[in-house]
Amino acid sequence: MMDVLRAIEASGVSVWVRESGSIWSYPTIIFFHSAGLAIIVGLSTAIDLRVLGVARGLPVAPMDRLFPIMWVGFWVNAISGLFLTMADAPAMLTSRLFLFKIAMIGLALITMTSLRRALRLPLAHGEGMPLAARAMAMASLLLWTAAIAAGRLTAYFGPGAEVKGIQ
Amino acid sequence: MMHSLSVWLHGTSLSWAARGGLPWLWPLCETLHFVGMAMLIGIIGLFDLRMLGFVKGLPLRPLQRLLPWGVAGFVINLVTGGVFYAGDPLQYLENNVFWLKMGFIALAGVNVLLFYATGLGRRVDEVGAGGDVPVAARAVAIASLVLWFGVMYWGRMLPFLGGAF
Repeated sequence: MMDVLRAIEASGVSVWVRESGSIWSYPTIIFFHSAGLAIIVGLSTAIDLRVLGVARGLPVAPMDRLFPIMWVGFWVNAISGLFLTMADAPAMLTSRLFLFKIAMIGLALITMTSLRRALRLPLAHGEGMPLAARAMAMASLLLWTAAIAAGRLTAYFGPGAEVKGIQ
Repeated sequence: MMHSLSVWLHGTSLSWAARGGLPWLWPLCETLHFVGMAMLIGIIGLFDLRMLGFVKGLPLRPLQRLLPWGVAGFVINLVTGGVFYAGDPLQYLENNVFWLKMGFIALAGVNVLLFYATGLGRRVDEVGAGGDVPVAARAVAIASLVLWFGVMYWGRMLPFLGGAF
């Protein structure tokens, strides 16, 4: 297993991301990783706040249109994240912090899809969102915050601290 | 003036704490800086998307009720950004990428001021579900998206183009 991870780390793509010094490698990839985060977490936060009772006058059904945009943010991060992980594969994939981050993202995506289903249910005018939907919205906020914290800590204390990109 | 302020800041205990005196402070502020960024860009961006004609089912007046949470994200980032600056003022003061980021934030601020000062904010308020905003408001929305993602770009480039950490 470790051999596979080391082979990934030694691959041409990984070396390019990590060591090429090109502005298009590590720096641009990490920018896209931030942009995708802002899109999926930011729009999720807006939906979560509405479900929790902020801006009650706002109809929830049209928010369904936001989910494809959020999935774009997700795929931007899945692809950019794949490059970043490959560049440091043995350390990343054995890091508890990194695995915790992936678990938080997985759970957050579950809350996201179940909230989408809740938004489609008809609501009587002026009625608050169901308790289950509110719980999902609260869980979504906490899970995304945990994922961000784990991601940031990976950069400072985890394996990411070793990958400097260009200086 | 910025220089003497920065020298003074460097001598404060906040600077000491951010530099590593309190080892958890920097990573904590980094986490909050990203949470604030998501709030700011997500909520302001949703407003911009609506003005550009996506999610047209959302009426603008109640959507404005979400904006204070975007502003809260900005305040979180102002405070945590202040901690970063205090930690090592000179690395930012003499850093062109840092000033590009500040310039983009200033332009984004001017964009917001123009939006409200020209009365566009009030006109947009009247736009209900399915309605279109004035062309000028669409221009403000595009400028907003470009400028805020630009702020993020320069922030991310600080370690690479600017040599900051």
